Amino acid sequence: MDLSITIGKKTLKTPVCVASGTFGYGSEYESLADFSSIGAIFTKAVTLEPRAGNDIPRMVETPAGLLNSIGLANVGVKKFVSEKISFLRNFDCAIIPNVAGSTEEEYLQVVDHLESCDDIFGYEINISCPNVKKGALAFGTNPAMVESLTSQLRAHTQKPLIIKLTPNVTDITAIAKAAENGGADAVSCINTLIGMVIDIHLKKPVLPMGTGGLSGPAIRPVGVAMTFKVSRAVSIPVIGIGGIMDAGDALQYLLAGAAAIQTGTVNFIDPAVTGKILRGIQQYCKREKITCLKELRTLMRYSA
Amino acid sequence: MNQQFSIIKSIKKIAKDFYSMTFSWVSKEIPVPGQFITIRISEKNIPLLRRPFALSDYNPKKREASMIFQIRGVGTEMLAQKKAGEPLDILGPAGTAFKCDTSGHTIIVAGGIGLGPMLFTASYLQKQKKPATFIFGCKTSEHVPATRNFFSLNPVICTDDGSLGFRGTTIDFLNKQKTEKNCELFACGPQAMLKGCHEYALKHAIQCYVSLEQIMACGVGACMGCVVKTVHAPGYARVCTEGAVFNSRDIAWI
Repeated sequence: MDLSITIGKKTLKTPVCVASGTFGYGSEYESLADFSSIGAIFTKAVTLEPRAGNDIPRMVETPAGLLNSIGLANVGVKKFVSEKISFLRNFDCAIIPNVAGSTEEEYLQVVDHLESCDDIFGYEINISCPNVKKGALAFGTNPAMVESLTSQLRAHTQKPLIIKLTPNVTDITAIAKAAENGGADAVSCINTLIGMVIDIHLKKPVLPMGTGGLSGPAIRPVGVAMTFKVSRAVSIPVIGIGGIMDAGDALQYLLAGAAAIQTGTVNFIDPAVTGKILRGIQQYCKREKITCLKELRTLMRYSA
Repeated sequence: MNQQFSIIKSIKKIAKDFYSMTFSWVSKEIPVPGQFITIRISEKNIPLLRRPFALSDYNPKKREASMIFQIRGVGTEMLAQKKAGEPLDILGPAGTAFKCDTSGHTIIVAGGIGLGPMLFTASYLQKQKKPATFIFGCKTSEHVPATRNFFSLNPVICTDDGSLGFRGTTIDFLNKQKTEKNCELFACGPQAMLKGCHEYALKHAIQCYVSLEQIMACGVGACMGCVVKTVHAPGYARVCTEGAVFNSRDIAWI
């Protein structure tokens, strides 16, 4: 069956991708992951200058979840191009850097740097990281800023532009529509939810920044609901993210209307999970007698 | 680093709250002292993340590895309930090692559950007939493991309450000894003990290597979550990749 999906003018070989921040630069998973099943590797966020990241501790486990405050720790775009891309070339997976910045100008400069790399499939624009003081989330919660940033980026690249949405808004569809109006080729739905864990003995949050981003199975119903809404609000592909642990979870997103999915926190727990998810999707499609992934969402017996 | 679908060979309680687990070793990569594994304890999402454990032994003939763990929360409680014959999902071996190629004397300091990697290190040096002093500190005699393996290393036992061996901490003990010039210090245990080891090493101008602990998500260097503060740029290093064994002079001690 045809497992490929189209984003902009380009094609991913499978709908199963790995989420930014959960797969490093790929090389960390060399001996562990099932690269043949991965449609695209969304890399650790890349900023113009290297970032050391946030104070420690950076993580705390919650019921079926992980609250993190990494703070976009990364090597910077120059080192990313000179040192990190070469490993990713070894595999038949699309390379999609996750681009972050504090200002519109920084996003544009990062993309300009990356444009010199033919191996890059497209960009995921991170306007939804809850763990940095400036930028990122501020962009992602304001439709006018999302449209402006997207349209400016559109003028700098022909490659697929994917806007990563935050769930930390009243109406995620307004942000998704703004991305579409700005010329985005797809949206990733969703980034982490803002959360806090308090140490009752120390009487302060466990994470030094106070809050962090919640991921893992705890947030899956939120991701599925937002994917359902967003995929009905825009006509560009939606990439479903949030708490996917297995093929059943991935299928919830695909039925909800996602064109593809990203595995996140599960990569830490089951690094070869993408192969199992892809096989599970294939088996389901075979049972349901569909030959093209796009037909999957038509199976839904519910419309809101 | 491999994902290994291993089988538990035995789980034994060796002291109050301390358990020793032995399991088959599938990977071709041979683990060395200081290295760790991560275990997926449950497939039911609670606990969600893998848990890291330093290895306490490797038996090349039987192709079995061991670790020591303490019940600290839900994960380790579930681990202690497991039985011989059950499968075990492991990633490893991971991280850096204690370099056991030294020509001089090695002082090995273990505190509490920090015993695991130091047991591996001490027995490794013993097999190579290298001179070492093995110091183990814990709260009371209840925490001293009643195993032949432990006592065959001629440990100096320090208890906080003096119920067995030296009364006081491992650092108190260290400070009462004559120091040798050509020696190195290897340590794993509570933060205060490790800092004490570091200060001892500075005072006596010897090298000190410490195995550190931090909450870990991926255990392979991808998530940037398990960092500790260092004195070198960019100011942080990953426990899972640049560690868990660090030169104590690289660490920004608080």
